[in-house]
Amino acid sequence: MSASNIFDSGKSGGARRGMTRKTRRLWLVVASVLCLGVATALVLNAFSSNIVFFMAPSQIRAHDPGPDRTVRLGGMVVAGSLHRETEGTTPVNIFEVTDGQAAVTVRFAGILPDLFREGQSVVALGTMRKDGTFRASEVLAKHDETYMPKEVAEALRKSGKWDPRFGKPPSAASWDTMTRDEARAAIDAKTPRNGS
Amino acid sequence: MSALPQSAVSPPQRGGLLHRFANPGRFLRLARWLTPLLGWISAVALVAGIIWGLFFSPADWQQGDTVRIMYIHVPMAILASAGYFALAICGVLTLVWKHPLADLAAVEIGPVGATATALCLATGSLWGKPMWGAWWVWDARLTSMLVLFFLYLGHIALIRAFDDPQRGYRAAAILAIAGSVDLPIIKFSVNWWNTLHQPDSITLTGAPTMSMSMLAPLMVCMIGFSCGFGALVSARLTAAILESRARQMMTRRIAEREEAA
Amino acid sequence: MTHLPFIAASYGVTAVAVLVLTVQAVLRLRRARTRLAQLEALRKTSTR
Repeated sequence: MSASNIFDSGKSGGARRGMTRKTRRLWLVVASVLCLGVATALVLNAFSSNIVFFMAPSQIRAHDPGPDRTVRLGGMVVAGSLHRETEGTTPVNIFEVTDGQAAVTVRFAGILPDLFREGQSVVALGTMRKDGTFRASEVLAKHDETYMPKEVAEALRKSGKWDPRFGKPPSAASWDTMTRDEARAAIDAKTPRNGS
Repeated sequence: MSALPQSAVSPPQRGGLLHRFANPGRFLRLARWLTPLLGWISAVALVAGIIWGLFFSPADWQQGDTVRIMYIHVPMAILASAGYFALAICGVLTLVWKHPLADLAAVEIGPVGATATALCLATGSLWGKPMWGAWWVWDARLTSMLVLFFLYLGHIALIRAFDDPQRGYRAAAILAIAGSVDLPIIKFSVNWWNTLHQPDSITLTGAPTMSMSMLAPLMVCMIGFSCGFGALVSARLTAAILESRARQMMTRRIAEREEAA
Repeated sequence: MTHLPFIAASYGVTAVAVLVLTVQAVLRLRRARTRLAQLEALRKTSTR
């Protein structure tokens, strides 16, 4: 006999008893969901430091993980800090990563991702060395949630409202309706014309 | 004998049958026009949105053409969560009201939602490799999305695991409701913890940090994939109801034949 | 580095998945309809 038949063939006053059963089941579901939600929130809160993907430079400075622990360092590449050196024969990329409060120098002997640039956020996997530099074995680029056409980015740069090397663009409301033609016109207006 | 008028006027067996298909019958009438309507809206919107997204929307200033993966990835991500939310609602309807249509809907939504989740993960991976430099990272957003995929797989397996389908419906309903705690985790993972995945561009509170020239084709694709999801579920649910009716007719025929013999 | 293969693969895998689901749904619906029609026809002949 299926469950719905048990329910249908309620004894005397079945309809009323069915209603209370339904309500009871509803409250049971609501209570279970609430308990589960609270339990999950507590667990996530307790493990919150393990869920974060990377540590910021200021966190690394405050709690140095030591040279034996592999950690992820995340932050923005400081404008003007990127340069290359050679260690023996291997070229090494050196740049500073900051979270606005502290900066850590990263050394990385490998190919940087395409999106890597100054002002871009990156996440580097590696170890903190005794001399205070971070030796990375892997560097990932973390792009932000800004999506704009090249022309709009160029127009914002030309207008002096934004320098991508120093982080995020101005408030989205100021540019997200700008069309490419408007952006091109703005760029042309700012570009000094030759021979006129 | 019974207080329910339905079973009072008809033999108990037929009454049970009527009750079982009262709502599915209404759904069949609805689906007759809803399925093709959603299907055609989806087809038109997807063709328009994908052509717009691939050839007419601008390349991103830093991601270049790779940003075009967004026109698939984002709708799939939203549909993956929305699909599981629908499973959870079906779960409540199954457990509390024992709604027969919800049982069948849960069976049919599962595989479609799992496909959307798989596509979200696959396109995300194909997007992550050229942009971040990694196919996969274990950050909170990606991991919680992978968990959702396994929840879908578990639901698909569980709802088919029992000889008595009713037990499968109830077990899967519990999984769907319990698993829905993953949905807010997916949504807010990028705000609660630092992740490699960027935060949402489209929020309820602020202006979208996305150029309208990209947002518009994204919305068209979103409409296309959503209607497609609806059309698929509606078509599958229709088929499931018809299959179930055919099964009942078969069993009744066999019973009648045995009685006659 | 060109990223075209990644874009093509994304759209390709989505197209395949959508196509498979659509064809599967259409075939299943058609099969269910014919089966039910057959059974109805059988019932009509047997009750007469």
